[in-house]
Amino acid sequence: MNWLKFVAIPLVLSSAVATAEVAVVVHPSNAASLDQAEISRLFTGRGTTFSNGSKATPLNLAESAPARAEFDSKVLGKSSSQMKAYWSKLVFTGKGTPPKELGSDADVKAAVAADASAIGYIDAASVDASVKVVGKF
Amino acid sequence: MKKSLVALALCTALVSTSSVAEVDISGFASVVGGKVLSGEGVPEFGLEPTFLANYPIVGFYEEDWSFKPDSKYGLQISADLTEGLSATAQLVGRGADDFNAEFEWAYLSYVLNEHWTLQAGKKRLPLYYYSDFFDVSYAYLWIRPAADNYTWQIFNYNGVNAQFNYQVNDWTVSGNIYTGREDDTENKLLSEFFGSQPIREIWKNIVGGVLSLNRDWLDLRFTYMTYQNERYRNGVQVTWDGDDSRRGKFAGVSANVDYNNWVVLTEFNRLTLDGGDFDTYLLSAGYRIGQWTPFVSFADFDSESEMHSTASVGARWDFHSSAAFKVQYDDVTDDGINGQMVAGDSKAITFGIDLVF
Repeated sequence: MNWLKFVAIPLVLSSAVATAEVAVVVHPSNAASLDQAEISRLFTGRGTTFSNGSKATPLNLAESAPARAEFDSKVLGKSSSQMKAYWSKLVFTGKGTPPKELGSDADVKAAVAADASAIGYIDAASVDASVKVVGKF
Repeated sequence: MKKSLVALALCTALVSTSSVAEVDISGFASVVGGKVLSGEGVPEFGLEPTFLANYPIVGFYEEDWSFKPDSKYGLQISADLTEGLSATAQLVGRGADDFNAEFEWAYLSYVLNEHWTLQAGKKRLPLYYYSDFFDVSYAYLWIRPAADNYTWQIFNYNGVNAQFNYQVNDWTVSGNIYTGREDDTENKLLSEFFGSQPIREIWKNIVGGVLSLNRDWLDLRFTYMTYQNERYRNGVQVTWDGDDSRRGKFAGVSANVDYNNWVVLTEFNRLTLDGGDFDTYLLSAGYRIGQWTPFVSFADFDSESEMHSTASVGARWDFHSSAAFKVQYDDVTDDGINGQMVAGDSKAITFGIDLVF
């Protein structure tokens, strides 16, 4: 993660503002089944593969995207601050690297549609046929 | 035609090599100020009322405001050399050392498979729960992990480390096994605080391991390490009962709970050295209310010759997505080392901001 660019981003808006549904999406060819615990493992670096054993590449949304706080709280059960503290511990002890961050739902959709190993999440309203939904939260 | 093809291939290779070596820069910083509100000091040594906040680097507060003892910054540079290989260096400057930046970490990492990663170089010794991210205050609750636990003079090592990560049913099982040595030619804690002569402290034949078990809200950690200690005072080797080295064995267990908005942090550790036991423990509890987490904490150091403890109360405020404000009150009870005080009883207030980027 390149945290450098987030220094300039102002206070994250309270998560109470947005209550939109978040859709977790993968490449249309990905047949893996995923429950919340497995998604959580992939996005916390505790797991690196899908249920069928193939490699998974999680993609995060930037903190400025509303669906990010939704995902952190509904799927991971943490605030974005708690997730940042969690990753700080891993990054600065050489134990893990957080998922790459993309700026918008459109960026995530494009990246997931282009990569069979990718898994991301977007506002459920942004879903189209280019990606496959594996869970809504 | 052939030549130009070769040239083209070379160019492509060069371009792709330089473009794939991705370099990441990240960092952390703490700006913390504080002062002793009241304290005994140690009149025999001419020590004014003092709050020894950080043993390894000798960070201490006195009755005048100071912004040095807990302030620090770190810069981490990580280069992904592709195919599982990466190089990482961490530069850390601490107020207690006048912010002189030094490479605290410098290691190569190789991802063997999805479960194992090998590392070689200079790393922090993962003794206590917070040892290897002691400087990254943003990652924990208080201003600093309690000094009564984090007292050891050596906190880095040079060697090799193998870390692992497995999923067993609902548990994440992770940890590492490491070996190496550290030779600190002028150890700050022993030379400056517990003495007045230059001390060279050597920990060799270090062998240790950490096992972590995580599940939902529960985090268990077991740690063990053994090392051989050699010491030179003013260039003269120190002997213990006629031996020029002694073996220390360190073991610890930690159980942390993060349930609903409750945070409970505990660790219990024992170092066995010279036939004596040095016992330390830390108990903390916090409750998250929105962006605020008020907490209470108690830490204790107990050995035959040395006893001290710290009771703390404070709060963390996550006012920004990359920064936290903290304020903490510490009440230290010093029962001394062999009848002499370490720094005497003290009550101190500290506050500041931790951030990551």
